[in-house]
This record gives sequence, structure tokens and C-alpha cells, in this order.
Amino acid sequence: MENTTIIEFHHVKKKYDDDIVLDDVTFEMERGKFYTLLGPSGCGKTTILRLIAGFTEATSGEIFLDGKKVNTIPANKRKVNTVFQDYALFPHLNVFENIAFGLRMKKMKQAQIEVKVKEALQFVNLAGYENREIEQMSGGQRQRVAIARAIVNEPDVILLDEPLSALDLKLRTQMQYELRELQKRLGITFVFVTHDQEEALAMSDEIFVINEGKIQQSGTPIDIYDEPINRFVADFIGESNIVQGKMIQDFLVSFVGQTFNCVDQGMKPNEAVEIVIRPEDLEITPTEKGKLKVEIQSVLFRGVHYEINAIDDAGNNWLIHTTKKVIIGEKIGLSFTAESIHVMRHDETEEEFDKRLGAYMEGESNA
Amino acid sequence: MHNKHIRRIYMIPYALWITLFVITPIILVGYYSFFDIEGNLSIVNYQKFFTPVYLKMTLSSFWYAFLITLISLIIAYPTAFFLTKTKHKQLWLLLIIVPSWVNLLLKAYAFIGIFGKYGPTNYFLEWIGIGTKQILFTDFSFIFVAVYIFIPFMILPIFNALNELSPSFIDAANDLGASRWATFRRVIFPLTLDGVKTGCQIVFIPALSLFMLTRLIAGNRVITLGTAIEQHFLVTQDWGMGATIAVFLMLIMFIFMILTGKDV
Repeated sequence: MENTTIIEFHHVKKKYDDDIVLDDVTFEMERGKFYTLLGPSGCGKTTILRLIAGFTEATSGEIFLDGKKVNTIPANKRKVNTVFQDYALFPHLNVFENIAFGLRMKKMKQAQIEVKVKEALQFVNLAGYENREIEQMSGGQRQRVAIARAIVNEPDVILLDEPLSALDLKLRTQMQYELRELQKRLGITFVFVTHDQEEALAMSDEIFVINEGKIQQSGTPIDIYDEPINRFVADFIGESNIVQGKMIQDFLVSFVGQTFNCVDQGMKPNEAVEIVIRPEDLEITPTEKGKLKVEIQSVLFRGVHYEINAIDDAGNNWLIHTTKKVIIGEKIGLSFTAESIHVMRHDETEEEFDKRLGAYMEGESNA
Repeated sequence: MHNKHIRRIYMIPYALWITLFVITPIILVGYYSFFDIEGNLSIVNYQKFFTPVYLKMTLSSFWYAFLITLISLIIAYPTAFFLTKTKHKQLWLLLIIVPSWVNLLLKAYAFIGIFGKYGPTNYFLEWIGIGTKQILFTDFSFIFVAVYIFIPFMILPIFNALNELSPSFIDAANDLGASRWATFRRVIFPLTLDGVKTGCQIVFIPALSLFMLTRLIAGNRVITLGTAIEQHFLVTQDWGMGATIAVFLMLIMFIFMILTGKDV
């Protein structure tokens, strides 16, 4: 029987000299899903990838692949393949030989290699490119060759280290679709590393948000976007307005000197919290109808919407995304629903957070 | 228009250099090669070159240059590989290069002392019970000193090639299931081959025409084309024959350069 868990990290730490790169990281990844490790550069996401691949060893903790502890198993013995950021295609070999490299290492027969390479090339829409040299290929084509070189080995896991960062915007968006499609067709676990939150939201089954060597939050793109656990996640994923507030009691929160209904619960009475409201959840109203009154500071045309910067009487900045046209200096009202107020506790761990959310999910289903 | 003038001015030193020190000497060498020892125009020198004496000399030049290049390569590649892995690689590299700044003759004289009958090497051999040996004026000492002199020139291009090799190629090979040896054979070596070729060129070509070492270290037991040219110009005064050998030496160098040239 197959394990549903394919990758497991158990209290993994990684230090370079005295630099802690990963600090007690524990997680599980399921077979056949698309995972994204998301975080700013230097957060440790690439280190996680290198640990899975076997390019580097953990300082402490245990790493399991398909239920087997692999801490000391070298990269060439793991059923994992990597698509590198710079693709790392061998310049002295042509497209065919690059893709065949892994198969040749397994001493596969030439006839079988030819069949497999052809298949892999078809998979990435590069049929007929066998005899091209790498330097004759464009960035997007190299990207596909790198993917073909990984999938031809039929690994359990494919690791992708910011593979789209070198492509231009249009091609990047196209490759996002293609990668997602490819992952679904192959059913192989993909672990994708990126610092681009839009990319992460668009492609993943599950996102791990990482900062300073720790997993800040993991969950589906919607979970993470809608219920960020802390200021870092709220700020990193999408754009947000974050203000200090106080939880008066369940379903009642106060910020910017007013009290609002909300949907959060499970905090201590009068606990200090942070409030997140997404810019697209703020609706412009006439001043008298608004929950907040703000003055418009700047307007930026973004194509699909206007990005408005406004300031309230208490001096808080508010970022608003709207399709309505407004004038700088104008006073407007802002309205929002109880659901669009996201309450974050200070220093809440992911475990506590999940427990609290779980508790009121149950509450809702009982009601 | 103005730019063109400036470019021409910049070209003057180069043009002068090439004409005076490259083209003219080659023409002169070619010219002299057609005169026999009496000063008569003839091709006797070329006929003489294809006699066993000179052919043997050519072969032995080749053989020694080949050995010197091969041994340098065998030592230089692992050394360069090791250097790229060290922490202060530029410093370690510099230490290997520094001796090459010392004049070749000085180094040769130093080795006469070291390898001499009463030198430290023999003293050591005596001490460990092997006894005094004739080291100087042997093939061994000649090749040893030549390798010592040439090795920095072999290490440098190989070091640069290895140093520029992106570590992700090695990760990628590893990732695709290659063992360390397979990674070296299939990826690292082919990708540093240009460095190896350059190294072989800058060792093999000068090694072909070595001449001072043959006298000082090998005691004229090793006669190379370089030695022969020197002897003809300075001792026998047969400039024609010296020039002819030089013509062949240049031809050989030229062929070697094409053979080891980078693929275009």
C-alpha cells in the first residue's frame, strides 16, 4: 500500500556556521499535490528544497521520503528530481542527451531511452527538438527541457526552485498554467519555491509561508489569503491594511476608536489584536453612510482598478482598490462587512490558530 | 569620422609590434632557411631535416614535451580541483603562481644545487640509507624541473575553468542519479575541457623548444629542437639549418594549436 504522506520533516534544523537557516521545521506533504514554499529571499525556502533533494544535510531533525528516513541518503539515490532556477542544463549536451542523462545513469537500454525522451518532450510540447543545442533554445524552451529532464525519471517528487523567475511576465503566466496542468496530468508531487505571492496563490493546492527559518502558516491559498495568522503573512500575501485593535468580546472588535461586529472569536476579553482588511474589501460610500471617514491622498490607475491611498482622522493609512473614480482631497466614507474584518492575535502559533479556528467551525455546524 | 582617426592612432603600437617582432622575424627565418652554410641558395637544409638525425631529434622533442605536458596535467587537474574547494582559494592559487615570477635560469641553477652530488636530495637519500645517486643530468631531473616550471601555467586555466563552473551543474548531475565519478566524467571534465586544452597549449608549445634546461639540468643528454637551433646559430654558425629547424618547429606548433583549438 502506498503512503499518502510523501515528504515529512520532523523538527528539522539547519545551521550554516552559526547562522540558523531553518529553525525546528515540522511538516508533512501529501502525495500528488502541488505545494508552494513562499517567502522572501533568505527565508529558508530554498534550504528546505535542498534538504529534500539531498544537496545538503540537516543539522538535526529527521527527514522522511515515502516513509523512509533519508537524512544521510545522497541526492543521486533519492527518487526526487529538481528543476533548477538557472535550469542547469548541460551546455555540452544537446536536448536529447540532457533529458536522457538520468536514464543513462540508470543504464537503461538505448531503444527504451529514445522512447522515453520522446514521450517527455511531447509532454512539454517540444516534440522534434531532440537534436537542438541548449544555446539555440529560448528561455521558455530551456525551462521545458529542464522540466522534461526531471519528469522523464518518473520521480516521486519534483522540486522547482523559482523556475519562472527568469521569464518575462507573459511567458511566466503561461508557464504557470502549463505547470499546474502538467502536475495534474502526471499526478506527481510538486514542491515549488517562489517569492511571488500571486504565483503561489494561482498554482498551489497548499502554500507554506516561510519567514526567518520558520513556517509561518500553511494552508490552501484561500485559507491563507482570508485568514492570515499574523502581520507577516497578511503583508506578504496580497496587500492589506493592518491596524491595531482590541477584541472586546467574541464577535465584537474595536479599532480606530470605534466598535465593529466581526466573525472572530476565542480570544480573551479586551485582548490586544491586529486587524487586517484587504483593500478590495473596502467599499466607497458617501461620507455619512461610511463606517470610516477618510480623505483621499493619492490615486493610482492600475488598469483593472484604481489604487487609492486615504487617511482617516486618527492618521491611519488606508489602501483601497476600487473601480470607482475619485478625486484627490475628496472626503469619502468606507464601508466593509463583518466578514472582511480579519482578526490576528499577537504571537499565536499555527497550532493554536488552527485549534481556535476549528473550534468555531464546530460551533457553526452545531448552531 | 573623428572616431575612425582615433582608432587608427590606437592601432599604431599594435601594427608596429606585429610588423617588427612577428612578421619580420618569420620572414627572415623563412629566408635564411634557404641558404646553406656557404651562403648559397639551396634546399639542402630541408633535405637534411629529413635525415634520421633530425627526425630523431624531432621525435625526442615531441616525446619530452608530451611527457612534461601529461605529467603537468596529471598533477595540475586535481590540484586545481582541490584549490577551488578551499576557503581562501585566490590566496592558495597565488602561492602556486608566485614562483613562476622568478627567472627560469635562477630556478634552474637552484635545482643544480638541490640535485647536485652534494645537494640536499642526495644528503637525504644517504640519510635514509639509499645512498648517493646521480640525479642531475638524467631524464628524470630534466622532466622534474620542466614540470616544476610549467605547472603554474597548467593550473591557472584549469582552475579558472573549474571556478567558473556553476555548482548547479554538479547538483543537477547528482540529482539525476550520477555518482561522483560519473559526475566528473560526464559533466565536470567535459565542461572544463577548454581549460585543459589551453593549459596543454601553454605547456606543450614552449616545452617543445626548451633549450637552457637541456644543458643545465639534463647536461645535453636530451637534445631537443630548441637545443639544436641554439647550437646551429651560436656554435656551428649554420644559420640556414637553424632557421630550417625553426620553420619546422613553428609548423608543429601551428598544427598543435589547431588540434587543441576550441571548437567554433
